[in-house]
Amino acid sequence: MGSVALRNIRKSYGAVEVLHGIDLDIQDGEFTVLVGPSGCGKSTLLRSIAGLETISGGDIAIDDAVINTLVPKDRDIAMVFQNYALYPHMTVAKNMGFSLRLARQSQAEIDRKVKAAAEILDLTALLDRYPRQLSGGQRQRVAMGRAIVRDPKVFLFDEPLSNLDAKLRVQMRSEIKELHQRLKTTTIYVTHDQIEAMTMADKIVVMRGGHVEQIGTPLELYDTPASVFVAGFIGSPSMNFVAASAEGGMLRIASGEVLGPVTGDVSSGREVIAGFRPEDIRLSDTGIGARVALIEPTGAETQLTLRTGDASIIMTTRDRITQSVGDTVHFSVPADKLHCFDAASELSLTNRTRPQ
Amino acid sequence: MNEQPRTLYWIFLSLVGLVISLYVLFPVFWLFLASFKTQAELAQLPISFWPEAPTFDAYKALFSPTHQKGQLLDWPQLIGNSFFIAVSSTIIVLVFGTLAGYAFSRLNFPGRDLILGGLLISRMFQGAALLLPTYRLMSMIGLQDSLIGLVLLYSAFGLPFATWIIASSLREIPRELEESAMIDGASRLQSMVMVVLPLATPALITAAMWHFVGAWSEFAFASILLESNDHKTVTIGLASFVELFTLEFQYVGAAATIVALPIMLIFLFGQRYFTRGLLAGAVKG
Repeated sequence: MGSVALRNIRKSYGAVEVLHGIDLDIQDGEFTVLVGPSGCGKSTLLRSIAGLETISGGDIAIDDAVINTLVPKDRDIAMVFQNYALYPHMTVAKNMGFSLRLARQSQAEIDRKVKAAAEILDLTALLDRYPRQLSGGQRQRVAMGRAIVRDPKVFLFDEPLSNLDAKLRVQMRSEIKELHQRLKTTTIYVTHDQIEAMTMADKIVVMRGGHVEQIGTPLELYDTPASVFVAGFIGSPSMNFVAASAEGGMLRIASGEVLGPVTGDVSSGREVIAGFRPEDIRLSDTGIGARVALIEPTGAETQLTLRTGDASIIMTTRDRITQSVGDTVHFSVPADKLHCFDAASELSLTNRTRPQ
Repeated sequence: MNEQPRTLYWIFLSLVGLVISLYVLFPVFWLFLASFKTQAELAQLPISFWPEAPTFDAYKALFSPTHQKGQLLDWPQLIGNSFFIAVSSTIIVLVFGTLAGYAFSRLNFPGRDLILGGLLISRMFQGAALLLPTYRLMSMIGLQDSLIGLVLLYSAFGLPFATWIIASSLREIPRELEESAMIDGASRLQSMVMVVLPLATPALITAAMWHFVGAWSEFAFASILLESNDHKTVTIGLASFVELFTLEFQYVGAAATIVALPIMLIFLFGQRYFTRGLLAGAVKG
């Protein structure tokens, strides 16, 4: 069991506040990803949960017990670090059994648990090796093994894949997800990579500048982003944004052309930012005129860069493209795929239901 | 640089190194050979390089009371004193240097960098400038002519540098290793002893070697502070030959060899710790 509740978490370094009151509820067994650009406070938040940073305000509770003042070892958590942090002078088996040794478990018990964890992670053949004799992916697995032998209430991962090459990263991503499905241990995972967040998470927490920007399932965030920031951060290539004004229920862009109907509760004459995803754009006979600036085929799909006025629009399509660079095309976006954001606050006018 | 000049450059460097080594080592070797010669052989002309009939008489004389004559000092006692002083002060320096080095490298406290810089400044004073004030001080607190006094004095002189070496090496050890240990259930002291210190072994050994060698071969302070014969150290013993047995170089050679032996052994043993990449594999790399 391991539910985590964060209440109004604040953290300051001197006069600089880096976490401005974070509220978050994580259910037992949930895989939660904290995602955001560097400096958004996600790692600080994770380290605060681990007890490696002292919070300046608020409450952290695991299973309803407030643990603010407990030292890391008494919080019943395990953490996997970005650089693995394996003890270089200990073998794989010793690394994995270190916490059990500190907990004064019997050698037989330690051996049994280490062996069981090693089997899960396919490390049995490496138990007598030292960290320096392992590859990056193997080190990563040992770091996870060290976490799972303890059977903690919560796993914390701090950007665990960012030191691996692209191919290994994809592989370890699935391994971590499978491991979670098998162990069902509450997991909090920090990354700056939105693809990792989308593919692994039950729940994503998008952070920015020490605030929670939005919390939701991957598809909730993708389909109903609460702000321009979330809309642009989640999804690749990211959402297109154009300035528009609401006139008589229609969105009119700078060129005077109409993008589509206003979605959400927007009064006439209001300045908005219209957003739409690259894959939702359709080439059509009518619609907004644009010039094809770039065509990038990747095989399965093709990415087009369209120029209209001074805006660049990225579109992706699975259709084969007959146009060539320089051609004039027209495109449109289905009304239900249009997002309207307030031009000043950048908050969504379309998706008023902000989870939490 | 292509192959040819690089090889030539290497040969040139090796030759220079060889010449310097010969220049430095020859007197040492000459003294070593002298320890196996008789006094007659040492005095004869032309000079013989290798001992004609190698003998251990000089070594026997140093260690057997029956051979000791005149003011030839009690060498087993001298060696014992020097070992006591060097080992005790090395232990003190290691224990406090480690604790201080850990604090300087891991904890945040006001004035930390200033104090660490101050430690280095204390190294800039020439020992000679401190001889008299130190003598006055030690007399005042009744620690002149005392082995304990010398242990404390050497520890005080040695600590700043040892702290500096240990602190800089601890800084190289990733913080995450300790954090990981603390999450794994270690207290700060446990994480220091079980994770940090094993990784700092090369620095600890370097600091210990440095201090031991310095304490073992220190002469100036020992010679002004120690007065009674049963408190003297090997370096004083060596110096006393020069006054007493000017011509008996076989004794000087034998004593010098004995005094140099621990230092040579220490370097032979300690060398491998300089080259061992203990940190490899800890973090990405």
